[in-house]
Amino acid sequence: MAEFFVDRLSLSAPVGYTLAALIQCVLIVALIGVAALLFIWMERKISGRIQDRWGPNRVGGKFGWFQTLADGMKLLTKEDLAPKDAQVILFRLAPYVSFAASFSAYLALPFADGWVIAPMTMGLFFILAVLGLEVFGVILGGYASGSKWSLFGAIRQAAQVVSYEVPLAMCAVVPVFLCGTMDLVAIGEKQAGLFTNWLVFHDPFTFVIFWVYFTCTVASVNRSPFDLPEAESELVAGFLTEYSGLRWSFFFMAEYSSMLLVSGLAAILFFGGWNGPLPIFHCIGWAYQQSETTWRLTGYLANLAGCVNFLAKAVLGVTVMMWVRWTLPRLRIDQVITVCLKYCVPLAAICFVGALMWQTLAWPSPNDLVPVTPAGKAGVREQWVLQQAKNAGRENLVGVSGPATDMPVTDIVVRPLEQEGGEG
Amino acid sequence: MMLLATLDWYSLFFLLFALLTCGFAVGVLFSDNIVHMAFYLTLSLGSCAGLFFLAGAPFVGAMQLMIYVGGTVVLLAFGVMLTANANFSSLRIPRGGWVVSLIVGGLLLVLLLTAALRVESWRTPRDEAVLPLAEVQTATVLGAGLTGVRVDKLHEDDPVTRRGMSGYLLPFVIISVHLLVVLVGAAYMARTRIYRRSASGNPRSRTG
Amino acid sequence: MTTADDSRILEFDVRTEEMLINMGPQHPSTHGVLRVVLRTDGEIVFRAEPQIGYLHRCAEKIGENLSPRQWVPYTDRLDYLAGMNMNLGWALAVEKLLGLEVSEKVGHIRVLVAELGRIASHLVAMGTYGLDLGSFTPFLYAFREREKILNLFEDVCGARLTYSYMLPGGVMADLPPGWLEKCEQFLTELEPVIADYHALLTSNQIFIKRTAAIGVLSAEDAIGYGCSGPVLRGSGVDFDLRRDGELYCTRMYQGYTYQVIVRKDGHYPKDHDYPPVPPEAVIGDCWHRFYVRMLEVVQSIDLVRQGIERYRQAPGDCGVPVKMTQRLPKGEIYLETEAPKGQMGFHLISDGSAIPWRVRIRSSSFCNLSIVPILCQNCLIADVPAVIGSLDVVLGEIDR
Repeated sequence: MAEFFVDRLSLSAPVGYTLAALIQCVLIVALIGVAALLFIWMERKISGRIQDRWGPNRVGGKFGWFQTLADGMKLLTKEDLAPKDAQVILFRLAPYVSFAASFSAYLALPFADGWVIAPMTMGLFFILAVLGLEVFGVILGGYASGSKWSLFGAIRQAAQVVSYEVPLAMCAVVPVFLCGTMDLVAIGEKQAGLFTNWLVFHDPFTFVIFWVYFTCTVASVNRSPFDLPEAESELVAGFLTEYSGLRWSFFFMAEYSSMLLVSGLAAILFFGGWNGPLPIFHCIGWAYQQSETTWRLTGYLANLAGCVNFLAKAVLGVTVMMWVRWTLPRLRIDQVITVCLKYCVPLAAICFVGALMWQTLAWPSPNDLVPVTPAGKAGVREQWVLQQAKNAGRENLVGVSGPATDMPVTDIVVRPLEQEGGEG
Repeated sequence: MMLLATLDWYSLFFLLFALLTCGFAVGVLFSDNIVHMAFYLTLSLGSCAGLFFLAGAPFVGAMQLMIYVGGTVVLLAFGVMLTANANFSSLRIPRGGWVVSLIVGGLLLVLLLTAALRVESWRTPRDEAVLPLAEVQTATVLGAGLTGVRVDKLHEDDPVTRRGMSGYLLPFVIISVHLLVVLVGAAYMARTRIYRRSASGNPRSRTG
Repeated sequence: MTTADDSRILEFDVRTEEMLINMGPQHPSTHGVLRVVLRTDGEIVFRAEPQIGYLHRCAEKIGENLSPRQWVPYTDRLDYLAGMNMNLGWALAVEKLLGLEVSEKVGHIRVLVAELGRIASHLVAMGTYGLDLGSFTPFLYAFREREKILNLFEDVCGARLTYSYMLPGGVMADLPPGWLEKCEQFLTELEPVIADYHALLTSNQIFIKRTAAIGVLSAEDAIGYGCSGPVLRGSGVDFDLRRDGELYCTRMYQGYTYQVIVRKDGHYPKDHDYPPVPPEAVIGDCWHRFYVRMLEVVQSIDLVRQGIERYRQAPGDCGVPVKMTQRLPKGEIYLETEAPKGQMGFHLISDGSAIPWRVRIRSSSFCNLSIVPILCQNCLIADVPAVIGSLDVVLGEIDR
């Protein structure tokens, strides 16, 4: 998008980039807002149907489409209360910290091939790092509420999220070494083609890793059966006890956006991201090839379809999370930590080693049936390489030059030293 | 005016992040509520991560976020919260303390500045109109270095520096073992000691 | 609370090792307006003191000013989730004092309605227990079934919650035509759904983890503290007033075949296909108390089916309720009946006039609640709602 502003509209580079950044941030905020709206509606409808009742069916037609809007308006008009014992600045700030952390993780999440706000070579690492910051808003909220119940809920949540980061990272690393890159766009692209290329089908260990990952993400975003911090029937509402109105809804938007984020991440890491089960747009020639550097309308449309595909997968993941929530009872906090340390971590570790062995010993895998490029996954390049190939053809971009732009697109292989007996 | 003329977007963001980092660090010094201190420390370290991103090192920046902000400060906040008794919720530094800290801090600053200014390539500002971006943006170099192979020094000619080709494997392993020892020791020291309580619920005082 | 208590609480609050936490009286999980004061160290509870009295409505005092016939609506409001069984207890107590015998048909109607009330009460217990533990769905399924029972009760006496149906001397009115068929249809709809409840709760691993070996009540403690009902039977004590009680109670159930749900000789009754007992569950823990309730629902279904058959063949009418002005003979009686939550007793002292001299309610939930301090000793905070939920207390009965 920035290239569009700078090249076509001849805006200066800083202005063009800033404008592009602003528009993309607004798009993400819009996405999160609409997603939260949709998910709240879905949650109420799904929970209603699971519980043998209708769910909202008055506001906005038979299916209650505008129920969430009505709820949002109600929340906006609520009195902005803070308890007497609360530390007002931190109390007010906490929901925004949570929301900011959740929103920032979207910066590195790609929605289609190349459609990512901040193309980072270590996108996955960045997302995992920022996801861990959400708990800080919760701790602040719990502490600053000035009530023992809120403090309890905040401490529980911190313990839970921090514990589950370990198996979560272990599971997230498996696709990384299967693809050889932390670049999420590249990971997604390496699963292009038929659904047999999806990493979840790579080997049985990765299949199990996906389920461990899913469990860890459910725990990480504090959904039932791991939703003790929100445990209504035990601690009233945990750290949320003293929050009402818009601030409460910010915490919830942060939770729903985190759910969407981790589902989207699961979709990219294991289910091909924007690449559908069938490579329709590749077959009809619309999708971009690796070597292309210019913009094409058909390529844009193919990417758009990929984005819709990706969002559908993410929403499906969120729906499964909701389904699980309304079915299972809640685990106690020590049981939650036990599940993490005694089940998730060893299982993740064993499957990590298994998947590693499978990859290293090059055992047969469904991924080999219809390889994405003739060289297999290794033929898909990381984003920075493609970007530099693109930059080679542009003169008005400040700050890009040097030998890297002339670098050919080849495999980067560390060859052993041939001379001097190979020191080091 | 000349200063403003040299101000471009990079400098602006650098100034912003640097101000935030230093400002919140000063906030840590001057605030007297320990939870506020922990909060300011988080923000300071987060802005530092921003500085890393600006310098073109996204990996280190993300590591800063994950380890310092996500890990250390959460732990710090935890501990602060749980021990925030009346004794500690308001910390006031005596005047003598300010003097000592100014002296020690000043000495440290002088030491760092002299050390930094000794590096040749940092002395003069880069006067190329165009700054080259990092040639290789992967973490392969770093990762390979940690496992024992310095791939960025494959064609090193100077025999002295070729000795560093073995990478950082040994320090990496030493640090890992060290961390493991620290974790085990902390878990051992923090183990729960359960005292027997009478059936009627009268608590005996806890000692030790 | 006395001032001595206040100072103790203040002292404990200042200590940094222990926290004084107040659960309730407004609280989504304590089955009514119950306040539980917890003294905890982090997550471990040292002492849990239930504090009651928030729902006291002077029912017993009012009983000294109203005739037994007029006092019947006050019994509905004791255990408001099982109003029929409360009515029954009072009706039998007054009949015992007066020495009345009711016809066979009244007996069968009473069995039908009391067992349906038992099912309704256990359904609420099950649903709210799931809700306490975070499982939201069984609550709605339970209320879906309970709605059908309340519809049946509405057909019988016009009310859904406070029935005043069973009066001393008989019942208010005979069963309406078509009621038995509706009842049978309800039973056929209920039986397959019970398997859903077992899948969602009884056999659910997470539920088992939350309730097995939690709040273990030994048989000696259960008897010593006066626990009754599923709490007592969940600890392995084989006692049910429908079988072992006084003649006035057991007469109603004579000729009915049912099993008392208790673990005898190491196993539960095997007359139906019940879900297996998990190995983690210890006799006397929350899971067993819950299990006893679930199995009692099945037994009650059998009883209702038999009741329907026997009602069809029984002679008699619906009885003549005792008049308001009926003089009560001088003397006192005490009669306990097996209510869903336990043994519900009425102590009635009369001085010869139509108004009793003293009415005393022995509430099962009161005694069941009294073991909370013992069960919650050294448990985690999250276990406190699990324990209280398994005791199935209702504050209307406790506070009267």
